[in-house]
Amino acid sequence: MSSIGPSSRSIVGRLLAHRSARWALAVIALLVVAAIAGPWFTAHAGHEQLDIVKLKNTPPSWRYPFGTDQYSRDLLTRVLLGARISLAVATLAVLLSTTLGTAYGLISGYAGGAVDAAMMRVLDGFLSIPRVLLLIAILTLWNPVPLSGLILLLGATGWFGVSRIVRAQTLATRHLEYVESARALGAGTGRILLRHVLPNIVTPVIVTATLAVGNVIALEAGLSYLGVGAREPTPSWGSIFFDGVEFFAGNWWVVFFPGVAIVATVLAFNVLGDALRDVLDPRQLHRSAPVTPGTQPRENG
Amino acid sequence: MRRQLAARLAQSLIVVIIVTTISFFVIRSAPGDPFSYESTTITPAIRDHWREQFGYNRPLPVQFIRYVTSVAHGELGYSFQMHEPVAVALAAAVPRTLLLTGLALGLSFLFGIIIGVLQATHRDGWFDRVTSAVLLFFYSLPDFWAALMILLLFAYWWPVLPAGNIVDPVMHDYMGGWEALVDRLRHLALPVLSFTLLTMAGITRYQRAAMIETLPMDFIRTARAKGLSERRIVWRHALRTALTPMVALLGLMLPALLGGALFIEKVFAWPGMGLLAAGAVAARDYDLVTATVIAGSVMVVIGSFFADLLHMAIDPRVRE
Amino acid sequence: MMLGPGVDDSFGRQLDVPLPPMPSEMRSTLLLIASAAVLVGCGSKEGSSSSGTAGGTVIIDTPGNAVAIFPPYVDDQIGRWVQDLVFDRLADLKAGGTTIGDRGFTARLAQKWTWAPDSMSIAFSLDPRARFHDGTPVTASDVRYSFNVFTDPKVGSPTAPTLTNIDSISVRDSLTPVAWFKRRTPEQFYDLAYQLVVLPQHVYAGIPADQLRTSAATRSLVGSGPFRLVKWEAGARLELIADTSNYRGRPKLDRLIMTAVETPTAATQVLAGQADFVEAFPVDQVPKLDSSAVARSNIEPQLGYTFMGMNQHVAKSKTAPNPIFSDIRVRRALSMAVDRVGMLHNVFGNTGLLAHGPFPMTASYADSTLKLPAFDTTAARAMLDSSGWRVGADGMRSKNGVPLRFSLMSPTTSLFRRRYAVLLQEQFRRLGVQVDLDFVDGPTAVLRSQAGDFQAILHTPGTDPSITGAKQFWGTGGIGPAGHNILPYSNPKVDALLDSAAAAFDPDKAKAAASRAFQTIIDDVPAIWLYDVTYYNGINRRITIPQPTLAGWWMNVEHWSIPADKRIPRDRIGLTAAKP
Repeated sequence: MSSIGPSSRSIVGRLLAHRSARWALAVIALLVVAAIAGPWFTAHAGHEQLDIVKLKNTPPSWRYPFGTDQYSRDLLTRVLLGARISLAVATLAVLLSTTLGTAYGLISGYAGGAVDAAMMRVLDGFLSIPRVLLLIAILTLWNPVPLSGLILLLGATGWFGVSRIVRAQTLATRHLEYVESARALGAGTGRILLRHVLPNIVTPVIVTATLAVGNVIALEAGLSYLGVGAREPTPSWGSIFFDGVEFFAGNWWVVFFPGVAIVATVLAFNVLGDALRDVLDPRQLHRSAPVTPGTQPRENG
Repeated sequence: MRRQLAARLAQSLIVVIIVTTISFFVIRSAPGDPFSYESTTITPAIRDHWREQFGYNRPLPVQFIRYVTSVAHGELGYSFQMHEPVAVALAAAVPRTLLLTGLALGLSFLFGIIIGVLQATHRDGWFDRVTSAVLLFFYSLPDFWAALMILLLFAYWWPVLPAGNIVDPVMHDYMGGWEALVDRLRHLALPVLSFTLLTMAGITRYQRAAMIETLPMDFIRTARAKGLSERRIVWRHALRTALTPMVALLGLMLPALLGGALFIEKVFAWPGMGLLAAGAVAARDYDLVTATVIAGSVMVVIGSFFADLLHMAIDPRVRE
Repeated sequence: MMLGPGVDDSFGRQLDVPLPPMPSEMRSTLLLIASAAVLVGCGSKEGSSSSGTAGGTVIIDTPGNAVAIFPPYVDDQIGRWVQDLVFDRLADLKAGGTTIGDRGFTARLAQKWTWAPDSMSIAFSLDPRARFHDGTPVTASDVRYSFNVFTDPKVGSPTAPTLTNIDSISVRDSLTPVAWFKRRTPEQFYDLAYQLVVLPQHVYAGIPADQLRTSAATRSLVGSGPFRLVKWEAGARLELIADTSNYRGRPKLDRLIMTAVETPTAATQVLAGQADFVEAFPVDQVPKLDSSAVARSNIEPQLGYTFMGMNQHVAKSKTAPNPIFSDIRVRRALSMAVDRVGMLHNVFGNTGLLAHGPFPMTASYADSTLKLPAFDTTAARAMLDSSGWRVGADGMRSKNGVPLRFSLMSPTTSLFRRRYAVLLQEQFRRLGVQVDLDFVDGPTAVLRSQAGDFQAILHTPGTDPSITGAKQFWGTGGIGPAGHNILPYSNPKVDALLDSAAAAFDPDKAKAAASRAFQTIIDDVPAIWLYDVTYYNGINRRITIPQPTLAGWWMNVEHWSIPADKRIPRDRIGLTAAKP
């Protein structure tokens, strides 16, 4: 393993050469563009109630491609707006959890000994808490939680898996020859962590984070479905779903389109995560320690 | 090894105690209490009377000591929502969740292992590609969405199976043994199907990776050299080694399973632990909330404890 | 003096049809013999009644668990269903019945009653045939015991405050309890006969008062009503069977099963015939029911009405006037800016009931002729402009740099209110008013509404059918911890009018005074009157429901029947107990 991570150029090149990665990237790019630009191009605002008597629950048509919801709002607009919320919440939450998890794992793995043992026992404790139930409890008890609070909560409860992976990689890296020699040459702990250890754990961290984005999108949808996620009139995919779920068989479109959006997004991130792993570190495929990303138990809602 | 197990147990106990303490204070620091449900008949004076009667107006530390003392005496408290002792409510709900998750987990592992092995032995062939793609799709479905779609599909559009309930709420009690079993299985079908589809993907991928790692190993080559049949090599020798990490996975999956169970239970009206816990939180049913948290963490702890034991039994390296 | 539970929008109710004649002695005797045959084991597995007029099992999907089923503690919707199926009151309220005097009532446990000349006591004559489900006769001392339990401070019954005008109950002879009142009031009969549920003394008297709530004995009910409780698996299932030897004749159904199933799944079950009844079918999907071959809809107006209340004070404060809502022009403008009819059509389709003021139209004193602020957005804008709230560059209104913005609290548990909140938010936005939705879960909503910790609120008071009930919500006396006047609203003129309405012994005079009080309240615009709560129950087509005779579908379940040719296997199991 070299002391420098794979060059970014070659990663992009190899990703683009990877067939399923191309698809996943295309889907994600499309979602991001739609999320940013989409609502500008639709004819209605997301909160606009077109005609609460005549246009409620209209099935998909040329004029309203995704139909309208029970408040006569244009569902296409709302699904596009929902992409904004869902993607933003998930990305920020994962950024937070990845940072937390990486820091925790680095410290634990690098310190080793009693500190490591203690930190790992604490982590075991955290890992034994069902995340979904914990989130539901907090969000129910302190409803309504603002969007920033939701992001913080999702981030603060999502770092346990990452830190295990980082710690394992750090342990493995710590005793590599060049790290030992850097230390012998008098390099400080911070420098060693940043310059030598971190580059080696970037690969699994990126892969895990990519997969986690998909997971968090599904989790946020699940929480909104239970009525404790994003608030009206802000649409996330989950809250659109919550609006329509009262009896979904009658107006299937309210449930179907946000559902498809969620599935497509989560799928794209999962495929991308897999592809990243192939591209960044082919040997990872052969590793089967419990830290292998992508094979962690699902935690989505 | 015995010392290792004892240490593991002690650690588990500490985890349970910490989780209990946290949940005790979290639920009590939230707005509301068991007597603040919406009612136009109850005057605040009556609510205060009840709070007094059950000690909820005392300082939190006093309540905590009282609670810990009673739990130490095996008394888990009273559920105002279920109108029965917490232990009774738990005794009814836990087996229902265990049946559902246990069955789903068993099926997931069975199919996951079989498909994972086949994928590994036919690596990059059409079977590998197709099943990987399909399973990745299921892995990407949000639990509640998948459950609702399955409900819609098999109980509404093509109504072949019952939508919800554990058994037929009337006829089950009047059925003969065989008939009753079929009834139970029919009611289990949709929730178990949803659950299995959702959890199988992870297991399969894990098994595939473990198998791919195992197949090139020396002892497999030796077995081939001995002239053993390929089927025997794969399903007896390689699989045994490749199963070891699967056991660790089992321990890791348990907490996530309990969370996922909530969505399945909600959609299929399955009155298990998840629904009980969520309802207890909403009703501020203090003792029931804390007790479900205790029960949940004990289940997780026991689960991972047995996973560890199994791991040790299979893999001699761990015993050192 | 409150009636009505309400985790959600469900309340006690009354409807306009007289009670049908009791089944003949002959028939009940025959049925008694038949059921006795089953009990001694002569009956086939099919049971006694599968071939006769009686028979059938109805599965009712309930949105959750009954919180309490022992009458002194009953306060939720499902608990009330069970209570009213298993127990009896002294008299039932009938026919849009006035709660003044006793004319609105029909016999139940008491066959007749006699007023003392000074009206300070009433002697009830109990039906001598009345038996509790364990065969013990219902006696006057059971009535006295029940009153003592309901009013014992150690029991802490939510019903206790409604019984405060009753001094005591004495036993003249075993079938004649006498109620003694503290004051002569128009609704004293209602206070006792309708609010008190009669419990068997010999079953529950041994349990100390402060242990009744948690005692295992109060989970198994013994009453004198049409159904017996067989089993209660909390959170899952509750089973009731017909009391075949009931003194008022046996119910036509054999068995009721209540299972806890949430709405989307329950709707699927009812449409598939897996369950037979669900209260409050998803309102958007009622056409699905009407086109279904399996189930149909059954409209039931409730005794609740919903309004958007505007806090007169700054949130949490008991004195500081609210900077937005203390100006009546603002309140009036907000009221005129919303399309109440459009919202009603959106939420309830074409059959909803518009609110006409601070009362439900199902109440006997309801008045549909009162004048409400008209829907006129132009006038609303002008009114806001003239009160100083002007539209800024961003399209939103403000005054002296303070934006016209408030939060609207609503419990997540109520679907109707949740939908109205979203509709209102958008209509106010068009007016240049920013509304933040404040959806909170049930317990939080209760605490915050009592503490005045809200700006605007979507509220559904569970009014009792009496005028004194209205005083609790709109009278000055209802302000504070003992009442339900949460806004708080106070007008001496309204207090005086409501007092004279409550003191009138002539229902017409009472209604006239109440109408004037309500018009005064409406003119003060403390709230926007939105809708009367209406449920569309989903019910299986094989069940025959006669015209409702009493308040609420569950009060009439004893008259539901399933014709022999429409019975399905679960209707034919009869009364035989299941294998253990």
